[in-house]
Amino acid sequence: MLIRLAGGRVVDPANGRDGIGDVWIRDSRIIEAPVGETPDEVFDVSGKIVMAGAIDIHSHIAGGNVNTARLLLPENHRAHVARPAETPLSTAGWSTFETGCRYAAMGFTTVIEPAVPTHYALHSHLELADVPIIDKGILTVVGEDDFLLTLLREGGNRSAIADYLASALAQTKGLGIKSINPGGSVAFANNARTFDLDDTVPFYGVTSRQLTQALQQGVMDIGIAHPLHLHTNNLGVAGNVDTALRTLQAADGKPLHLAHLQFYAYGKEGKRGFSSGAAQLADAVNKTPNVTIDVGQVMFRQTVTVSCDVVRQYGSIGMAKPRKSVIFEGETVSAGVVPYLYKADNYYNAVQWAAGLELFLLITNPGQVFFTTDHPNGAPYTTYPELFALIMSRDLRNKWLADVPKEALEQTTLPSIEREYSFSEIATMTRVAPAKLLGLMDRGHLTPGALADVAIYDDDPADRARAFRHAHLVFKDGDLVVRDGKVTHYRTGRALTAQPSYDSNIDRRLARYYDAAYGLSRDLFKVPEHTIGLDHAFEEVACQG
Amino acid sequence: MTAYVDGAAVPLEAAAAEAARLLEGARLPLVAGLQTDVAGTRAAILLAERLRGAYDHAASDALLRDVGVLRQAGRMVTTANDVRIRADLVLLIGPRLTRLWPDLADRLALGAPPRLAAEQTARKIFWLGGEPGAAAAIGATEIAASAEQLPQAVAALRAAVAGRKSRLGGALAKNIAELAGHLHAAHFGAFVWSAETLDALTIEALTGLVFDLNLKTRFTNLAFGPAQNAVGVLQTSGWMTGFPIRTGFGRGYPEHDTWRFDANRLVDAGEADAALWISAYGASAPGWRRKVPFVALAAPGTSFPYPPKVSIEIGAPGQDHDAIEWSREITTFTVTPAKAASAAPSVADAVGLISEHLKGNEAC
Ligand SMILES: [Zn+2]
Repeated sequence: MLIRLAGGRVVDPANGRDGIGDVWIRDSRIIEAPVGETPDEVFDVSGKIVMAGAIDIHSHIAGGNVNTARLLLPENHRAHVARPAETPLSTAGWSTFETGCRYAAMGFTTVIEPAVPTHYALHSHLELADVPIIDKGILTVVGEDDFLLTLLREGGNRSAIADYLASALAQTKGLGIKSINPGGSVAFANNARTFDLDDTVPFYGVTSRQLTQALQQGVMDIGIAHPLHLHTNNLGVAGNVDTALRTLQAADGKPLHLAHLQFYAYGKEGKRGFSSGAAQLADAVNKTPNVTIDVGQVMFRQTVTVSCDVVRQYGSIGMAKPRKSVIFEGETVSAGVVPYLYKADNYYNAVQWAAGLELFLLITNPGQVFFTTDHPNGAPYTTYPELFALIMSRDLRNKWLADVPKEALEQTTLPSIEREYSFSEIATMTRVAPAKLLGLMDRGHLTPGALADVAIYDDDPADRARAFRHAHLVFKDGDLVVRDGKVTHYRTGRALTAQPSYDSNIDRRLARYYDAAYGLSRDLFKVPEHTIGLDHAFEEVACQG
Repeated sequence: MTAYVDGAAVPLEAAAAEAARLLEGARLPLVAGLQTDVAGTRAAILLAERLRGAYDHAASDALLRDVGVLRQAGRMVTTANDVRIRADLVLLIGPRLTRLWPDLADRLALGAPPRLAAEQTARKIFWLGGEPGAAAAIGATEIAASAEQLPQAVAALRAAVAGRKSRLGGALAKNIAELAGHLHAAHFGAFVWSAETLDALTIEALTGLVFDLNLKTRFTNLAFGPAQNAVGVLQTSGWMTGFPIRTGFGRGYPEHDTWRFDANRLVDAGEADAALWISAYGASAPGWRRKVPFVALAAPGTSFPYPPKVSIEIGAPGQDHDAIEWSREITTFTVTPAKAASAAPSVADAVGLISEHLKGNEAC
């Protein structure tokens, strides 16, 4: 199948391209314009924006905690418009099927579920297999289990830690490694209600900082592309900008990804002791090129927070709306599901919203700041179109500013910021940089040979959100899956994995440990290579060596 | 032969074709039983949607009692492994727990100190409202309470923990007061129970009690569900439709209603005019009282109250074929390899065949 996308504005910053031209697809790949061949199909996309498919590096779309949130909150997805069901279960609100459809309709072709504990990976993969069209990957959560912490207590043999991490990726079919308030689940089990960077993990004699740094080094040692994906301590607490600054320093010049930084951009200024520290934090990020961040933007609406930061989630129970929460504990990591309503007229929520936008607008390199709402924690991913519009238009921001408390805005720099993202910067932030961060070499750009994941949008300055919600056309692997914002058919996505080699002695040690601690085989927790009932195939991403 | 139409042996294809004819001719086809692995559940829910029918599970009462309290009040929960390695106090609540889960005490290693506790002292183990003698069999201290007393006893425990008085009297009141003292002294306590043997009010009181206890110390629940992947069906339903079982597709999108889509009610009220009964784990027959024509995908040897229109004998998950199932041992999904792989069709196979025979079949 030879396809010509004719006459669109091709925005492909990886190739320094932003101008009118054609893009050619043969089967599943982008190709050079062929000489003397007639395309099987030509799409006139003049007046449209042509980009690679977008990549979301951090969106909680699948797994036990997300499913608990579904069961906890039937009222969040009760009302739904009846449509003829051309594609199975695409009308099911908050279902895995709907997730694939809505992401695809926005031109997203790869989404990473960022919080999969080692013991629950099969559940996450089962759900992801039922997310149609898009490709997915998981980040494997480590840092709380007794085996690893005991390794550290006993001196932290560096190669054993690296082997442990590589083995965790093999067991879970993960793409990267994440840690969440490192040591926090253990601290909570031991009755702690706060847990800071330099607090000691009870019984193990290592601090959260030491644990973080050991994991950061371990991830570098196994040679996967994605650096340690860190959800650091003190999320959501007034004055935690200090924690974020200390975490940036703790990275010690080495690669680190700091997740949903907005939730750490809080000072203690103002009458209410809660202000935006985003400007200071953005400045620090600008001076710390070894660290990438994603924003975790807050948008005003009902949502639910889903997080393995159990210290934080337990602490939020009193603020739950509606007033019901689930705290889930487990032998390797704990979690909480707490519904929350972000309101534009709420002082604190307004500061949070402004702080996120400040991070977007004040971090100068669009390759260092990633586009997320930490779905669903800051807002559901379905708010992405409005968020794109906000960072692309100062006028639109000014309209929104009129609806939030003045008192809150006084504690931010947002009203003074003039920057507007260009399409090229959007493409860098949502295509080029995520592909690079995750090591997906054939994605995020339109270079001949790249995967033919292509999103084509209307260029409508008056309503950017509409254009981003309903892409004009979307191709996945060269297959037209979305036309005028509607999914035309399902196809099966793949799960991307990184599977570095390691010394299998660690597996034998782990097998003995599971026998002794749980009286069970570790194999029970394994995601098998070819699992019956999984509709996705695994695609291994190359390691750096 | 493993497939029958009106009691006569037929080729599998013919049975599937007849099943498709019956189900798609119905005004409101019902998928019920649903005792199957994840692959079978997926196939059955997709079929229910295509048919614009409804689906329910044989163990819905217990599953939805639990979910009902969860979505009222939230919950703190943990895994069996976490209790095993961490809990210094275990309180079992309600009858029949070791009958529902014979290996429970072994799985939680109740006889050994918790591996990760600060002090390696024996666990304190209590059983409130178990059947006589059951506590002693697992080395637990028995706190006798009849089924009728149990809700009151749990309410009294909650009151005692909060320092309030309750109306409970006699020996039970004294035992409850002592128990409250033990709870206060625990570092990491776990309540072990099953919605199969507790009523909703008791579950709600336990949920509240655990939240109360966490104001000072650490407590959580180990709530285990019905066996044979019932919890897995609930979970699969959750991600596929956003809702638990008892969900219907009549309007072209899933609607969840625990009353409207109760399988027995749908049949007995005459609303469902055809049914697909799925029972892969063992001989289990529908309990509805009205006669509705139905297709059975059931274990060989299942005896039905009246004959199914179509019957396909299917293999058992984890026995005849590999299966993904919910494991209460690890409180999540796991792969169960076939113990003796056979050619018997799985539920997913059979539902797939039926789907292929539906009219207007399109490749999705
Ligand atoms: Zn997150």
